[in-house]
This record gives sequence, C-alpha cells and structure tokens, in this order.
Amino acid sequence: MSEETKNITVAINGKEVEVSPKTTILRAAREAGYSIPSLCDYELLAPIGACRMCLVEVEGMQRLQTSCTLLPVNGMEVTTESDVLTKARRDVLELLLINHPLDCPFCDKSGECDLQDMVLKYGPSIGRYTEQKRNIPSSYEDPLLATNMERCIACERCVRMCDEVQGVSALTMVGRGEETRMEPFSLESWDCEYCGNCLPACPVGAILSTVQMHNYRPWQMNREVDTVCGHCGVGCQLVVQVRDEQIARIDSRTSLGINRGLLCSLGRFGHEYVGAEERLGSPMIRRDGELEECSWEEVIAFVADRLTAVKEQHGGEAIAGIASPRCSNEENYLFQKFLRVGCGSNSIDSLSRLGLAAARRVFEDLLGSGALANELSAIDACDGILVVGGDPTVVNPILGLSIRQAAGAGARVGILGRASGLDRVRAVSMAPGVERETAVLETLLAEVAKERGFSDERVEKAMDSLRETHRAPESPEEGLADLRDLLRSAATLAIVVGPELVQRPDGHRALAALAGLAHCLQARLYLQAEGANEQGLVDVGCEPDRLPGGIPVADQAHRQRLEGLWGGSVPVEPGLSLMEIIEAAGTKIRALYVMGENPVFKLPKSSLVRKALESLDLLVVQDIFLNETAKLAHVVLPAQAWTERDGTFTNIEHRIQRSPKAIAPRSGRADWQIVAEIAEAMGCPLAVAKVGEITQELATVSPLHAGLDAESLDDRGWLVRPPEERPPGESAAPPIALPLQEPTTNGVRLGVERLLFHAGTTSRHSPALLKICPEATAKLSVELASELDLEDGDRVRLSTAQGSVTVPVEIDASLTDHRVLLSNHFENAGVLGLLDYSLHPLTKAPALEASEVAITKVEAAEE
Amino acid sequence: MTLSTAALREIEMIRGKYPEPRSALIPALYIAEREFGWLSAAALLSLAEALDLPPALVRGTATFYHLYRHREMGRHLIQLCTNVSCMILGAEELQEMLKRKYGLVPGGTTEDGRFSLLIMECIGVCEGAPAMQIDTDLYQNLTEERLDEILSSYG
Amino acid sequence: MEPLLLKNTDQPNSADLAEYQRIGGYRALKKALEMSPAEVIEEVVTSGLQGRGGAGFPTGKKWEFAVRATGSPKYLINNADEGEPGTFKDRYLMEKNPHLVIEGMVIASHALGAQKGYIYLRHEYPTAGARLERAMEEALNHGFLGDSICGTSVNFDLEIFRGAGAYICGEETALIDSMEGKRGQPRLKPPFPVNAGLWGKPTIVNNVETLACVPIIVDIGGAAFAEIGTPASPGPKLYCLSGSVNRPGLYEAPMGTSLRELIYEYAGGMRNGHRLKAVIPGGLSTPVLPAEATDCAMDFASLVEAGSALGSAGVIVMDDTVCMVRVARRAAHFYEVESCGKCVPCREGTGWLEKVLSRIENGNAEMKDLDLLQDISDAIYGNCFCPLGDSAAEVVSAIFKHFRGEFEAHVKNGVCDLEA
Ligand SMILES: Cc1cc2nc3c(=O)[nH]c(=O)nc-3n(C[C@H](O)[C@H](O)[C@H](O)COP(=O)(O)O)c2cc1C
Ligand code: SF4
Ligand code: FES
Repeated sequence: MSEETKNITVAINGKEVEVSPKTTILRAAREAGYSIPSLCDYELLAPIGACRMCLVEVEGMQRLQTSCTLLPVNGMEVTTESDVLTKARRDVLELLLINHPLDCPFCDKSGECDLQDMVLKYGPSIGRYTEQKRNIPSSYEDPLLATNMERCIACERCVRMCDEVQGVSALTMVGRGEETRMEPFSLESWDCEYCGNCLPACPVGAILSTVQMHNYRPWQMNREVDTVCGHCGVGCQLVVQVRDEQIARIDSRTSLGINRGLLCSLGRFGHEYVGAEERLGSPMIRRDGELEECSWEEVIAFVADRLTAVKEQHGGEAIAGIASPRCSNEENYLFQKFLRVGCGSNSIDSLSRLGLAAARRVFEDLLGSGALANELSAIDACDGILVVGGDPTVVNPILGLSIRQAAGAGARVGILGRASGLDRVRAVSMAPGVERETAVLETLLAEVAKERGFSDERVEKAMDSLRETHRAPESPEEGLADLRDLLRSAATLAIVVGPELVQRPDGHRALAALAGLAHCLQARLYLQAEGANEQGLVDVGCEPDRLPGGIPVADQAHRQRLEGLWGGSVPVEPGLSLMEIIEAAGTKIRALYVMGENPVFKLPKSSLVRKALESLDLLVVQDIFLNETAKLAHVVLPAQAWTERDGTFTNIEHRIQRSPKAIAPRSGRADWQIVAEIAEAMGCPLAVAKVGEITQELATVSPLHAGLDAESLDDRGWLVRPPEERPPGESAAPPIALPLQEPTTNGVRLGVERLLFHAGTTSRHSPALLKICPEATAKLSVELASELDLEDGDRVRLSTAQGSVTVPVEIDASLTDHRVLLSNHFENAGVLGLLDYSLHPLTKAPALEASEVAITKVEAAEE
Repeated sequence: MTLSTAALREIEMIRGKYPEPRSALIPALYIAEREFGWLSAAALLSLAEALDLPPALVRGTATFYHLYRHREMGRHLIQLCTNVSCMILGAEELQEMLKRKYGLVPGGTTEDGRFSLLIMECIGVCEGAPAMQIDTDLYQNLTEERLDEILSSYG
Repeated sequence: MEPLLLKNTDQPNSADLAEYQRIGGYRALKKALEMSPAEVIEEVVTSGLQGRGGAGFPTGKKWEFAVRATGSPKYLINNADEGEPGTFKDRYLMEKNPHLVIEGMVIASHALGAQKGYIYLRHEYPTAGARLERAMEEALNHGFLGDSICGTSVNFDLEIFRGAGAYICGEETALIDSMEGKRGQPRLKPPFPVNAGLWGKPTIVNNVETLACVPIIVDIGGAAFAEIGTPASPGPKLYCLSGSVNRPGLYEAPMGTSLRELIYEYAGGMRNGHRLKAVIPGGLSTPVLPAEATDCAMDFASLVEAGSALGSAGVIVMDDTVCMVRVARRAAHFYEVESCGKCVPCREGTGWLEKVLSRIENGNAEMKDLDLLQDISDAIYGNCFCPLGDSAAEVVSAIFKHFRGEFEAHVKNGVCDLEA
C-alpha cells in the first residue's frame, strides 16, 4: 500500500500528531507511543469494533469511542488513559472473563496471550461470576489444529483471517449471543488450506497447533530468528523459534516481510524435515556396490582425485554440475565458479530448466531484462489479472493470496487452464484443454495487437512469425471473448505465468504470445517458481551459457574480466544444458556433481535418467537425504539444511533476502564449504573462509549484484535492479514459430498435479505435512471415474511406456478433461518419471509429451 | 443427502434475483428445511453445494437465526410468546403447564412426537396476549383451558 | 381526530384494492407522479415527519441525503421486522391497510429514484405477508406497481424478503447483512446505508409506519400534516397498548397525546380495577416509567425528558399485580436471547444480568447481588457496539431504580411479596 499523506492533525494525550485520514486513532496512538489495549483489532483485517477494549475519550463526544474504528478529523482531542477508561476496560474484561475457563496454567498460549497481559494490567482481581460457565468440549479431531472454544473471546480474528485474507472461509462464527463461538464446519474436513494464519491471529489459546502442543512455552525458547522460508519462490519471512537447537515452532509477525506475516502450510508446518532422523550423517563412498561411511578427509580427497582424473583423461568439458534452488546464492555461485574454473566446464544447469529459468529467458529475449522486474505488492493495485500455466495458490501460495486479495478489492481475475484455488474469485475462466491453450493465447494476441499495435519493431517482428503459423480456432471458443474483454478493459493488468507452459512442446509459443500481450497491454509479468532460489541460481550464473549477472559466456570482454577476478580460465563455449547433460552422461559427460537436487525423481523418463547416471564414471550427490539420486551415487556428501547455515536467497520478484543460521547443524557441512574444500584439494583454491566473503565477491563479479551488502539486509531485503542496458538477446528476433502442439483426442493422458501441502521431496520428511496429505493419489474427473468404473479409494496402476505406479483414486469435481493427474512428491509414486519428453530446441526444456496412460484397477490381493 | 430437482430449480431462480448469490441463502435455507425437515449438517452441506458457497458460511448464517429448525421437530410447532406483554397476562404459567402436562420444555419435543415448543420473543399480537402460533395458525387470549383444548385439535 | 393511517381499517375488506381506492387510495400516488421528485421530498421535509422505527430521524433529511448519494441502483427497504416487544402497529398496517404501505413505497421510490424495493418482513408475520402479496399483485395489475406506473416512465419493482427470527435484524445495517445472506449483525457506521447499504449501493431504510405516512403527506400536504401533533413531533401516530388495560389494541392519535389519555381513554383504563404501577412507553427497549409519570406527552422529546423514549410506541402497561423483578428478568432474557453476540458487553453481560435477576426472583440472592446487578448494568451501558446492549442495561437499571424495594424484598423474604 502506498503511504498516505499525513495531512490531519490530532492531539493524543495532548501531543499533536500528524496522521493520514485513513489511519485509525488506535494505530495513530500506537505510532505516537501510546499503547491502547485491543483484542479484535488486527493489522491485516478491517476493524469491527467488537471487543470494546480500545475505548478512548474524545473531547466533545459524550460516549467513549472505540479507537480501532475511529478515524481522525482535524483538531480531534483524544485521551487514551483516564480513570473512566480504566474502569471501562476493567468492566469489559470482567465481562470477558465470566465465561473464560481461566486455565492459564495448562494453556499453551500462556505467556503470549493478549488477554492474560490485559488482565494483568487492567483486570479485575476477583471474579464475581458464580453461575455455570459456558461448557464446550475442546476438539483435537483435526490433524494440526486444536480448538478450545471455552477460551474463545469471539473476536472473530481467525474467521476474518480465513475469510478476508485467506479467502477460504473454512471457519465461521456459529450461534448467536452468549452461544456464539467459532466452528470449523464441513462434515469431514475444514476445507482448510492449513495456512495456519489463524494461529497468530488468535489472541488467546482458542486455536493452537498440535504440532508443538504441550511442547512449547514462550519463555523456554533459547532464541528467535527472523528468516526467509525455503520452500518456494515467494520467499516469505518467518520467525524460527529455537529450543535446544531444534526448531520448536515457526511463527510470524504481521510486520514481517512482503508476506506481512502470512504463511502457507509449507512455511508454517513444513519445517520438521530439518530435524528428521533420516538426515544424512556421515559422508559415504560406494565400495563393492555399497555405499560405505567414511571420513570427510577421505571423501574430499576421493572426489578431488576422481574429478582430477576425469579432467585429465577427458578434459574439463566431461564434468557437469546440477545446482539447486534449495541452496543459497553463495552456494550456487561458488558451485558454478568451481565447475567453470576448477573443473574447466560450463556444463552447469539446474532443474529450473523446467521452470523459471527457461521461461524467463523467452520473456527477456523478447522484451528485455526489465520485463520481469515487478514487485509482488503491485498485484494489489491491478484491476485485471490473467492466470495461466498453473495455480499460483498452490505453486506460490502467498502470490496466490495477493491475487485473491486483489480480486476482493475489485480486480477481475481470468484463468486460462486450471487454477482451482482461484475458482471463488475468478471473473472469467476458460479450460480449452492443455493442447489448445497456446492457440487461445495467440488468438488473444492477434485480437489485442490489431487494436493496440506494437511499439517495438523487434517485438512486432517476432510476433509476426507467430501469426504466420497461428492456427485460429474453427469456431469461436467459449470464454474467449470474456477473456479478451478482461484483458482489454484492465487499466493495470498483471499476467501470472505458471511453470506448466515451459514444459509443453509448444510452450515457448505460449510464452511468446504472453510476452506479446504483456507488451501491447503494458501488463506486469509475474513468473511462478516452485523452487526457493530459482531466480537466484540463474542470476549467479548456474546456466550453461550465462555467467554470473546474466552475462553470456560468449561476451568475451566480460569473460576475460571474470577470468582476471577468478584467477583461472573459463571455457569459451557454452556448456550443456540440463537434459543435454543427462543425455550425454556416460559419453561426453563422465562425471556429474549434483548439489541438493534429485534428478532421478524429478525429471521425466526416469528409466533413461537412471540408466544415464549409472553409466557415469563419477556421480557425486550432495544432499541432506539419501534420495533416489543419492542412492545411485558413487559419493554422497551430507549437506546442511535450511536454518543451519547462512546465505542469501533471491525470490521471484528479484528480492534478495537473508537466510541466517538459526540452529546448530544436525549433521553435514555447508554446501559452499564442501565445494570449497574439494576445490582446494584439486589445487584450485576458491579462497573463501566465510559465506560473507562469497557475497562480497558476488557483488564485485556480477553487475546484477553490485551494491549488495548481506550484512545490512532487513526483512524487506534488497531488490535487484536489472541493468539499464539489456544484454543482447540470442538473436535480433528470436525464432519462435516452431510447430504448434497437435491435439490428439483418443486415450487418457497423464498430467502433473501440484500439491499445496508438499514441496519437492523434503516434505516427505515432515510429519505434519504427511498428516494432512499422506500419499499420492490419481486424480480424475467424475466423468472419467464413472467411465472407468472407479470409486474414491480404489487402487489403480497407472502405466505408461516409461513405467508404472500404483496409487489410490481420488475423484476431483473441479477436473473436467480426460486426464489423470498425479503429483511428484511421494516415493515410488511420482508422475514425472512416467512421462516421456522431447528436448525443446529453443528453451532446452524437456517438453513433456502428452503420454497416454493405461489405468487398471488393482485388487488388494494383487499387491 | 441431495436436494430435489424442483428445490434446486427454485434455489436457482432465487439466486438469479440478486446481484450477489449469497443473498439467496436466507430464503434457500427455508427450502432446505422444507426438503429435509430440519437443517442437519448434511442438509447444510448439500445447500452449500447448491449455492456454491463455502459450507462454513452457510452454517454460520443458519445458526444465527432462531426460526430455522436446527433439530428434528415434532409434527406441530408451538410458538408461544412469553415476552412481557404476554407474561403479564399469564404466558409463563402456560409454559409451565406445557411442561407439567405435556413434558414440553423450550426447544423440546413431546415424547409422542406430536409437538415441539419454541419460546418466542414477542410475535406482535400483544393486544391478544397471551398469544401463540401453532404452525401458521394464530391463537390469542389464551388460558390454560383454551390451550389444552386447542392442542387436542392437533393430531 | 379522524384516523388517517387506520382510516377504514375497521372494515372487513379494508385490504382490498377496490375498497382502498373507494376511499381515495392511490390518489396521492397520482398526485406525486405529477410532482418532481424534489417537490415530493420538499413536502416530506415540510411535514416534519420523523421515522417511526424508533430513532425518530427526520425522514425528509434522510431522503435528501439519499438523493445526494452517488451510486446506482438505489434501493428502498421497508423495515417490517417489527421485533420490538410490545409493538404490533406495522403488522396491523400491513394486514389491514397494505395498499397504504405499498402506495407509500411507490411514492418514495419516485422521490428517491429507487427502482427496486424490498419489504424486509419478519417471518413471524405470515398473514401480513399473504395480505401484502395479494395487494402487491393487485397493485401490479392496476399499474400502481411495476413498469410504467400510472402510465408514467416511473418503474418500481417490489419484493418481500422474509427474515428468519432475529430481533437485531430490525437494526437497519444488520437487516442489510441479513439480506446479503450473512449473520445479521450491525455494521460499522459510517458508511451509512444511504451511501453504501445493500450490496454496497445507496439504500434507504424506512419503517412501515413511516412509509405509510407518505401518501397522507402528499394527499393533505406537508403543512397540514405538520399541523397534527406537536411542533417538535408532528403527525398522527400509532400507539400499541398492551398489558393490564381493559382494551388493549392499536390506536391512532396525534403525536404528543398523553400517556394518561392513551391508557384511560383509548384503552379503557386499568383492568379489573387494579392500580397502574408502571409503563414501558416505547417497546421493551425503552426504560420503564413509574405510575406518577402518566401525564407525560407521548412524543420523542417529552419522553426523553421523562427519562425514557418513544421508541416504537409499544406501550406496555403494568398494574400492581405485576412483579417488577420478574419483568426485569424477562426483559433481560429477551436481550440475552436476542444479543447478536458481536460485542463483548452485550454478549456476556445480558446473560449475566438474566442469571442474577433469576436468582433474585427465586430468592437465591444476597443483598450484595443488588450492587452486582447495578455494576453489570453500568459495565454494559455505554460500552456496546449498537443500541441493543445499551437498552438492556438501561431497561434493567430503570426498573431497579424505580422499584428497588421489590428487589430488596425478594432478597430478604426469598419470595415475591405479591405472591406471598
Ligand atoms: C436493536 C434495534 C432494533 C430495531 N428494530 C427495528 C424494527 O424492528 N423496525 C424498524 O422499523 N426499525 C427498527 N430499528 C431502527 C432501524 O435501525 C432504523 O432506524 C429504522 O428502520 C429507520 O426507519 P425510520 O427512519 O422510518 O424510523 C431498530 C434499531 C435497533 C438499534
Ligand atoms: S450491542 Fe453488541 S452484541 Fe448486542 S446486539 Fe448490538 S452489536 Fe450485537
Ligand atoms: S480493538 Fe477496538 S473494539 Fe476491539
């Protein structure tokens, strides 16, 4: 929100203050240093004036006024403490307490309870209520949230949070008068997104998380550390509360971060993997086919020797690296530097090739590097939002929330494809089937371009090439006109692009069409990113053809400058991209170093990936768990997890935030440290002793990071400003007119489902998340289920040419097409491995082929 | 538990009348009540689905209003006013009699399932106090004898 | 005084259109349609009409605000939730004189530029609903409602919206929330409904009786209307008399008629030769007056001066057989049941009041409970979100103040003196 002009003068307790006309007296008084007790007021919610604690006296007004609802007018004189007010507050508190169980000694909220604090300050010392108190049994039925409605003070903060902010309305007040209480309603579930944002909203102990039930007391915490969440590209700020070097609880504050204290299920409940038993402990080397534990000295020497051997025998180009969006900027930077100058290879890439890295390249090549420099907070101010290529409420939940909130404030939301998390707020939606989406975007572009034209010849030329091969729909498609009107009528349009487009054979055309639309309509573009640091790893140089700062490897002057700074030579030719590395494994590529990634599980065609990795001379996997890829490795290096080491992360809006060390590492070494030690052992010292030194070096080396000072980062971080001059695109007008996807009609197709309650594969190790989402399911529409004679819970085998998995069926009423959706989080039940792909010639992304899937019901006995 | 097609059509029609579909909720709750007899959790869920509203909102609204049937009820509903005007003229004694003779307590139902009792807060016929309504029939100037007589005419 | 609002309502067919037209019905509408909206509002301003729903806000002023409000469409809501205990005037009007109510709404819609109107009818009034529906159909068929009213370009679509049993929904913003399908709790003001009401649009909420006055004002002229009653509170008024009187019923009398006249002349005096003990003059949300106050004029200002309020003019008369502790307890019960539960003092305090009063009534209280009773009332009063909670405290304290002796006797003797 923009700063309001402070053009109103009021006197609070005699002190004159300037305030904006929209600041309530409660907030104004707090800013002026006067505390007024309040219970129903909450930073993120519209005031309701229900608890009556915030009463103040106003000169000339007979009644006491609730300051939370009172707006200032010039000359208003307010008193916040007086005998009258003290009595009124004590009166209200006495009334509040008559039905309260007064069970502070057993209450988990004790010590951080607003009511408790207020009673200490204003409250009556004895209770005069002698009648029966309200009796409502506590509920522990929910896997994560326990309710105690006797403690509830009916401030409605949780309900308002769930309704106004989260947009879910899983909670409601029920009953009337004295019987009023909060209830989660719906027969089996709450329809809950488990954001847990009701937890900090509750001022008392009426809603508590069972994750740390009876295991958390505020005064037992050793420390609290503000940090950035490690689960997705939004980069929410949160508070890690530490007890005995374990994360005791994740908390949030409304003042914190661009997320304003809002979190999603992953951020709030998905931290337990850090302390998981099954974390890797000691380094391991494969001997006689088995991974055996060994010492760090041994493993460092081993890796260094083997890499040196490969380099000597096959040349540096035979070594490749896969970087990680779970690792920091510093770690990824050091990793690519090690590969380039230590090993002599530019073959460094990441799984962001399936997502943000590839998509942003299409946009930047067409529109320049500033095209994606949009702050998330600006979504609030948009009056039109187009969502395509995935559900932001699932991929990047807090981005999804901004969209819901913008919709609440009047923005029209249009959806192309499926985004069920936005169904309640959408104005227009169109689901022509994934194969038709590109054609729809191109049709929209053609229509919009006809009206608005292009202001840039380069863009126009590129778009021309689309037009020449565009296949217009035979008949007008349902929803198209509405979607076009939405785009045309928006004064400020946002386009939110999900990760699915880039994974389609014609996805680049869809992205190009979106670029064209964004250009014509001057829309703000937002890219979703599943990984926390996808943007960061791209910026620090983890792409085969780009050096830190996004400078092409081919840029000789820059490369030479780098070589000077790095004290070593960088190969002249760009390296291999992700899928090229996999495909060349065992031939051109002899050694692969995977840092914090799981390609065997997270890439398509796992049989091929597995075989490729098995044929390597050396596979080094550095991770915190023995994942599918690590199980194949020659060497396993235990790394440190989120909150165990320092570093910075870059979110999808290009904001660099600090992720400081909060707890002592359970095991392993920091990724950067391992890389540095191996480099040193290879005789190529990277000369770093502390993370801070890497950040400093990055700021020197990369023009994008010039001026970055990690020490001074606060909860708003540091926004990377793209350089004025766009780096030249790969060509003047990138070729984009590759053939459109051919719609195929027969057969059931397999598609990728993204889950709100899981991220990557670490969430497998978070019991809380497993409680709310324990297993993979095959999601299919009501029609398809009846066609196949399947019911909820039936177990089915899904088989493709690549393999098969057996999972239970879940019928999903929001699905309409002839597809089966499966997620990619659970062991032995991932969708990606079952899919075939073709290497996209332009984006180098693995374009997922629309694989036909055979579905057979499995009887229990068969398994 | 699903609403009949006729009910769904009626709800759809009401929904179409208002700029915001949620406005159909109050009238639609009466329809659900007619369909299912009373507003059980399952009844509310099916209404939520019909109106495409979050179930919690439907439940929150339904439980706020006292005239919906929030539990299973007898064949006839006695709505007895005991507010001040009626009380002055003996309504609380009538309430007492219903308990004594019929075992009827506020919110309760007779054992034979014939009557349920709702205590009303002024039904706006104070000139005929004490007054009550049985189903949609209005009775005024009640006495214990008259009340007995009236009840005997309901099967 | 010739009845204006209740004119002809002693006739069995008074609700029929033909009968209504026979005595001059819809004449005012035709006259109003020949006037400009501003002229109609001008007449209402001149009439000095004050809202009959309880608050007595000048109707002309409300309409002027409404006309100035930006946003369309504009909605007109007839508040027929009549939940105030002791009040039955709106029901009577709707049952016996529905066309007067409809005519008032059509004229108002013309004046206000509201093309859509709702009657928010409490569900407890099935007969009123049926009569209104029939009258609306008649009016529609005769061109007094719907499109092109009386052949002009004025359109007005009217619909009944039935409540579901909540006194608080008589409060206009709670009423609007209820129409929006929500829990009917009062909204924060501002914004006021005239600026942002139903579905966020400008909305004029008027009481049934207020709207029924409108055809009369147009017919006889604002100035003539202002001649009736007192200068500060003009017009005819419907008084609902109930309780310990010989002829309980609805009476139309000029505003400012004295309580004495209403009880002893209109309602035929006290029943069975009993003595007057107390009067609740304006429905159960107005403080009780002792017998000595019967000379008070029943208009907005005089009653405030007497320590009470005109409210909805629901006059509940109590004789010397009535136990005032019991009345207080029953009143508190009403507030406990009807509190919407939004704000703390009312939600928690009304129930506590009732519990303490029950103990006093049943002889299970001590003297210090009388102080507690007063303290609870004081804790509620002035600290509530809407007037409901304040009324609970005021009503209980007023009974306690005027009849403290009865409370003390209950505590001391363990039973009611009247029963002993
Ligand atoms: C608790 C409460 C209950 C009310 N109940 C009613 C009611 O039943 N009928 C009514 O007309 N006004 C009622 N009102 C007043 C309305 O809020 C509103 O002022 C009135 O409908 C305006 O119409 P008028 O200006 O014509 O009087 C109530 C107000 C409060 C605070
Ligand atoms: S005073 Fe408070 S709880 Fe009572 S009805 Fe008004 S808003 Fe609701
Ligand atoms: S904080 Fe103002 S009323 Fe609750």
